Amino acid sequence: MAFLLRTLARQSTCLSRPQLGVFYRHAVPMGTTAKEEMNKFWAKNNKLNRPMSPHITVYQWSVPMMMSITHRVTGVGLSGGISAFALLALVLPGNYPYYLDLIHSLSIGPALLGLAKLGIAFPVSYHTLNGIRHLFWDSGKGFTIPEVYRSGYVVIALSILTSIAAVAYM
Amino acid sequence: MAAIVRISSVCHRGVKLLFYRSALLARPLVGQQKDQDLSYLLTARIHGSSSLCAGSVSKAASLHWTGERVVSVLLLAMGPAAYLFPGPAIDYSLAAALTLHGHWGIGQVLTDYVHGEPKIKMANAGLFLLSTVTFAGLCYFNYNDVGICKAVALLWSK
Repeated sequence: MAFLLRTLARQSTCLSRPQLGVFYRHAVPMGTTAKEEMNKFWAKNNKLNRPMSPHITVYQWSVPMMMSITHRVTGVGLSGGISAFALLALVLPGNYPYYLDLIHSLSIGPALLGLAKLGIAFPVSYHTLNGIRHLFWDSGKGFTIPEVYRSGYVVIALSILTSIAAVAYM
Repeated sequence: MAAIVRISSVCHRGVKLLFYRSALLARPLVGQQKDQDLSYLLTARIHGSSSLCAGSVSKAASLHWTGERVVSVLLLAMGPAAYLFPGPAIDYSLAAALTLHGHWGIGQVLTDYVHGEPKIKMANAGLFLLSTVTFAGLCYFNYNDVGICKAVALLWSK
């Protein structure tokens, strides 16, 4: 009898026995979704007008943190650039070579032209290389802190080198 | 005994596990090690969503995650492909992959920073509109103008 009770107590597999709830060692999915829980959190805290606890103003910045936000900023920037390009393509009357010649005729000078190209090349380069780093993480590799820093420095060095090479030699 | 019979009538899948467990408990010394190994197996079976009483969990989120990675890898491959084989096929593939990657990426940014049901809905609607216009614009450019590959080549030749 005790043997049976122990078996039942240690392994309850059905929700239909709620009195054994305290013995559930293996979790059953909750009644609410993650999204619902998050909305509840924000609704409650906004209603109570609670101030946000300081985070980026007090936490010590680290290379991985800065690389992460740079990845996001370059991503949003590139996406915005592509959307702006697509919008202009739909709205402006002339065709692409016409506008290129127009910009060229403004005689901006090689230094500024190079800088503008760098402004496009570096975000593309950085976002692509750091994206590869992200894909490695997604496969489960490279999570130790030394590896994160090492791969981070490699990404930074390579993106600077490749963007300068793209502007200088192409 | 009666208790086990009752459980079996409600969750027939669980009973086999119960009997397995009780066989283990009858041999405590050997059972210890196997206990730990098997508890993982038992956990895996219990979490299976197919016949569990608690109901199933949607796979939408994990499929979305996988889709994001697949598009990222495809976009990565399109870089060298566009350099080596420029043309309309790559132009349209690039338009699709860039738009989708950007759409999902900004979607994640909105999820992180926008809170409250109505604001989330509005932001996502705006994003959907932006991505649609972006894709339309890129396709228009590919069809009526030089195309993405040629555009990059011309820009860089300045």
